[in-house]
Amino acid sequence: MQRNGPVALIFHSLVVAFMLAPMVVVCLVAFTPENTLTMPWNSLSLRWFEAVFEHADFMASFWNSVRLALLSATISTFLAVPAALAITRYEFRGRDALNALFLSPLIIPHLVLGVAFLRLFSLMGATGSFAWLVATHAIVVSPYTLRLILASLTSMDRNAENAARTLGAGEWTVFCRITMPLLLPGISGGWLLAFINSFDELTMSIFVTSPSTVTLPVRMYMYASESIDPMMAAVSALMIAVATVTMIVLDRMFGLDRLLVGKG
Amino acid sequence: MSFLSVRNVSKYYGPVAAVDSFGLDVEKGEFISLLGPSGCGKTTTLQMVAGLVRPSAGTIMMGERDITHLPPPQRELGVVFQSYALFPHMTVAENVSFGLEMRKVAKAERDRRVKDILALVHLLALADRYPREMSGGQRQRVAIARALVINPPVLLLDEPLSNLDAQLREEMQFELRRIQQVVGITTIMVTHDQSEALSISDRVVVMEQGRITQVDTPYELYERPRNPFISSFVGKSNFLAATAEHHAGGATISIGNTGITFQANDRPKGKHVSVFIRPEKLRLTAPSEGQIEGTVTSRYFMGNQWLVSAKTPAGTLSVAVQNFGAPPPPIGEKVGLVWRNDDCRVLAAGAAE
Repeated sequence: MQRNGPVALIFHSLVVAFMLAPMVVVCLVAFTPENTLTMPWNSLSLRWFEAVFEHADFMASFWNSVRLALLSATISTFLAVPAALAITRYEFRGRDALNALFLSPLIIPHLVLGVAFLRLFSLMGATGSFAWLVATHAIVVSPYTLRLILASLTSMDRNAENAARTLGAGEWTVFCRITMPLLLPGISGGWLLAFINSFDELTMSIFVTSPSTVTLPVRMYMYASESIDPMMAAVSALMIAVATVTMIVLDRMFGLDRLLVGKG
Repeated sequence: MSFLSVRNVSKYYGPVAAVDSFGLDVEKGEFISLLGPSGCGKTTTLQMVAGLVRPSAGTIMMGERDITHLPPPQRELGVVFQSYALFPHMTVAENVSFGLEMRKVAKAERDRRVKDILALVHLLALADRYPREMSGGQRQRVAIARALVINPPVLLLDEPLSNLDAQLREEMQFELRRIQQVVGITTIMVTHDQSEALSISDRVVVMEQGRITQVDTPYELYERPRNPFISSFVGKSNFLAATAEHHAGGATISIGNTGITFQANDRPKGKHVSVFIRPEKLRLTAPSEGQIEGTVTSRYFMGNQWLVSAKTPAGTLSVAVQNFGAPPPPIGEKVGLVWRNDDCRVLAAGAAE
């Protein structure tokens, strides 16, 4: 492998520093003993973390977001697997339309989606229901699951399935024993991206959550618009920690390179 | 009643016939090669036998049983794919054992048969490896073992050697034949490599543009190709323009511009014919001693032989000279060319060219 020159090295370091610095600062500020957003130069304290765990609304929102992200990522994966199989393997009318439909949440601004869903739900009388919130998130994260599953489907050697057929496997056995295991990197990678995107989603959720279904980002947004104290930093640090731990676990289990870049 | 009988099978993609009225009877234990350039329909034919492609017309019989419309799992044939198509998430043993599992063979019996077949392909030591940890030749043997372990009546091989490098390919060629002979399995192999087809098959089926043009033993095919395409596709050939005078016993052939005439047993149609002769059936001699005189225009050393081209009144002729004794004359030198008229084949000019 070619080594980077000194200029390139400095450039890369600056880019990485630029990306990481805000997160590092937030995480450090979370440990401040003061009442304002300051760096903990003199002493460290866990008081703001305690404050988060004692704040019933924040904890409720956190669990709400976790449930929401788990459900919506899983539902969108269940929809994306058959959709991806249909799109890659069959010629049918409206195939491109289906593909475009699944990708459209990426193109339509979440703000517009949020307003549209809000209007729809109030017409239906469904405002504030958690089930409908899950549905909206499943729609918004489906492009991620579909894209990654499509990618692993198109790179898959279909003759492996044919080989299984010639060895006596029926269609269902082929799907369970060959297709699914070979798709697993795409499915888990897509699921992970979907989970993170749902957990993070703010713009649309502001419109479609109700007081009983407030998600963590929405709660933070509401809290931050009133006052800024180090508890926000503590919440952010916790979110970063959750994401990091998830990534590390997945990397150990499957290898992130394989999941996200598709390296064999 | 032959063992496997493919009768008038065709495959159309729209108006285009990928395979056109393919008919072939295969005997038990035979090794058949389907040989042809890419796009000639040989792989489509194999896939129709395997059940992976649905024939547009015709029937495929296994003995008394019509398998034309059976799905692949019920045909119980062994198939080796060009890409090997191993299951990447399973070990070698798991790959090989898959077909036995599908047949609900008991665990102990399964293990024994997997072990036996891996021993046959010399891979016993690698049973717990994953395909990605193996070389191309090893993967290929796994694919063969996986196809053979279910004791299929017929083994289908799709370009099994094309992904291997030259040296390994030659080795695996004979290995393939050895395994086939040990197991005694009826085999159909698709290949575009004529030397592969000639060296290990009992019979070779040549296909051009979806049709069979010749079915013969390798020796017959090489010595008596039915048309100019086959004679140049299977081995190398020199072509000479000639005219034929037909008479009761055969024909008198005159090679253009040379005054050389000879009696041929072949009876090609028409007056204008092609005479073809293999490079190794020509011999170089002193200029005055040959049937025809020429000048050496190129000379390539191939190791075991020299490939010499000589310009003669009848056209440029290639001569293969064994690397035995002194090297052949250099470029620019006058030479004589000698051959036996019996080694010449006469074909209608331009047929299927």
